[in-house]
Amino acid sequence: MNKELEHQFVTNLEKHQNIAHKICRIYTNDKDSHNDLFQEITIQLWKAYPKFRGDSKFSTWMYRVALNTAITLYRKKKRSIRTQDYDSVHFKIKSEEYNDEVEQHLKLMYDAIRQLNDIDKALIFLYLEDKNYAEISDTLGITEVNARVKMNRVKTKLKNLINP
Amino acid sequence: MDDLDLLKKDWKKQEKNLPHLSYDEIYKMIWKKSSSIVKWIFIISIIEFLLGAVLNFVLADEEYWLQMEKYKLTEFIIGVYIFTYAITFYFIYKFYMNYKKISSTDSASKLMKSILRTRKTVKHYIGFILISSAVVFLVTLYLMLRNHATTAEATTTNMEFDMSQWFIFIGGTLLVLAILLGIIWLIYRVVYGILLRRLNKNYKELKKLEME
Repeated sequence: MNKELEHQFVTNLEKHQNIAHKICRIYTNDKDSHNDLFQEITIQLWKAYPKFRGDSKFSTWMYRVALNTAITLYRKKKRSIRTQDYDSVHFKIKSEEYNDEVEQHLKLMYDAIRQLNDIDKALIFLYLEDKNYAEISDTLGITEVNARVKMNRVKTKLKNLINP
Repeated sequence: MDDLDLLKKDWKKQEKNLPHLSYDEIYKMIWKKSSSIVKWIFIISIIEFLLGAVLNFVLADEEYWLQMEKYKLTEFIIGVYIFTYAITFYFIYKFYMNYKKISSTDSASKLMKSILRTRKTVKHYIGFILISSAVVFLVTLYLMLRNHATTAEATTTNMEFDMSQWFIFIGGTLLVLAILLGIIWLIYRVVYGILLRRLNKNYKELKKLEME
């Protein structure tokens, strides 16, 4: 394939890689799985790139392909040895910024998100990313009304998980 | 402050703790092999299509054709073959068209639907192979027995079955056939189920409200 396209793609992805990392963080629990999923997202994006016309923003297009990869296309590898868990590495909350209580509460919330199913995770992710309902409905392929109802249910579910 | 607002605020803060890959690291990644479910579905489906076709060839050796010749069934079997291959090609064509429609740039719901549709084609093909095998087996058996009866020599007449023996013979054959096909179908369903369990679950979850 032509070099120009490769260069364009890698530059774009390097700039927007946070989107993929954030999705990996929601859908995986350890560093190796994170890297695996990130790699699969990269491959899927690259495969779909020739069809990317540029009529939408690269980031908008990326949300869709990356989420599709996490929810549908990616097949988890079986791991016999559990690698380092996220809790100790990531989600490090600076103690100067929060007091212990808040910190503890946030940890609970991140743990609760991990317990959600794949679709609920996607909804929470899109909520955290400040996506509006039109975008959410478009990304997931459900009506806007359904997106609203589902979002409310996930929020309730999450709150119940945190405060049982 | 609301729990979720707090979470959102923290989520934004966490951005600076995310890993960052360099241009070269990403460049290397685009040439790695994908391990996506679509690729697996494609490989497994092709194997299934091949298996159906290869089985026909392997099972039908020279001896088989001689046997068929003896029972005057050659034309019937050739007819069956032409029919089976025509149907197989139809399924392969349908599979290929569905496969081509799978696109990661579709919405999640549409993507899942097109993957499930692609897989369904292969499932129907396997169903067709199992049912048609059973039908062909039974028809062949029937024709063999009938043609054999008309050509049989007098010495074999004392070996003829009476009514109840026929009943047991036919019943037994049907039972064995049903069990055999049932087992194949079950194994198939298990493999299929494992491969698509997560996808099916997610699709149902996504579509739940529409069905409520």
